[in-house]
Amino acid sequence: MSSIHAKVAVGSSTDSSFLGGRIPTEIEIMAKHLKDVDQEIFRKILKVVVNAIEGKDCREAIKTIAENAALPEERLTFVVAGMYRLLKEALRIPMSSLKQEVFKEDLRQLRIPEEFITDFSSVVFGNRRTTLEAVAIQKGPKLPCIEDCRWRVDVAISTSALSRALQPSILMQMKLSDGRAHRFEMSVSKFQELRYNVALILKEMNDLEKKSILKIQD
Amino acid sequence: MADVDTTKSMNGLLNGIAQIVYYNNSDITEDLLKTELYPDLTPEEFHALLAKMKGLLKSIATADMDQAQLEAFLTAHTRKQGTGGLSAEQAAALSRFWKGHRGRVRESLLSQCRWEPVLKGLTWRVDLQTSSSRGEASNSPVALVELELGMAGEDSEFVCLEFDEAKVNQVLKKMAEIQESIETTVHLS
Repeated sequence: MSSIHAKVAVGSSTDSSFLGGRIPTEIEIMAKHLKDVDQEIFRKILKVVVNAIEGKDCREAIKTIAENAALPEERLTFVVAGMYRLLKEALRIPMSSLKQEVFKEDLRQLRIPEEFITDFSSVVFGNRRTTLEAVAIQKGPKLPCIEDCRWRVDVAISTSALSRALQPSILMQMKLSDGRAHRFEMSVSKFQELRYNVALILKEMNDLEKKSILKIQD
Repeated sequence: MADVDTTKSMNGLLNGIAQIVYYNNSDITEDLLKTELYPDLTPEEFHALLAKMKGLLKSIATADMDQAQLEAFLTAHTRKQGTGGLSAEQAAALSRFWKGHRGRVRESLLSQCRWEPVLKGLTWRVDLQTSSSRGEASNSPVALVELELGMAGEDSEFVCLEFDEAKVNQVLKKMAEIQESIETTVHLS
């Protein structure tokens, strides 16, 4: 099975690059400007770009590079933009679909110097990949999730409307990942309905995982 | 008075009071009850009857009387003389009414003393993420849950949440704890 996948991937690389039929302009321009760039400076810029993809603030770091490197600001801008785009495109593709050799070959086609290809490759296929993927999942579009959930079971003994209520009710307080908090009450029967549905959701999720037909494989 | 105080009108009156006082039905008004059920009574007579029945119902509902308590209560009132007294037909109508409405009235009174938004409903969906703009899609199922929260009779707020399997499991465990806690409480009482 895996050999077939590999063949497909290699086959596709001869037709078009992993970047698609049309190479993004930023990357093309970057390739032109990478000639004669000192590898040390290249690595510094690459490190900053990777940090930016991880969501860190890189304004200071890039300013330092711009001030110290013997690279005109315009060229630096082209290089940064191209690197960012190139890495983003490469990281989007699952590792199982993009082979390191194919990636390198695609970059050679763009006339990117060999030593830089190795550096790019070590970012996309190296140890950093796991962190970058985790960040990508975290930063993807998603609804808020429950961060903390606290509850209380109350039994109303007596109320202004009912002298002997003796009715349990559940008070729930949820803190969400977007910082909001919600508090709501429910009767025992509503609670049981909620519990039933949550159990049903879990069952559906388990069932879905068993259905390998739905697994999208590359 | 006895000739107009038919069983039908009495049943209608009790139901009408329940709609106004306990079920928040704004379509029913006291004037409507008067014209529909007791057109022959003078306004003063009707209001006296209405006030008496409302008061009795309130006593019955507040104490959430069971059948035996109700019988004792009604017997005591039928023995009373004068305007506060209760006819046998009225007592029978009250007894019949309470049999049919006790649960609903109690539920309504309980909800009158809830001040936090309540969980009105929930809808959910399980999705399988297949592709995304950033990085590799995890291919694991995601549950999307929408909770409808709000005060009774007011607009609801919808809260949308996302869960992965581990989170659903966590919530379910918490709910088992709550269930256990309820069972202990109910057992004690």
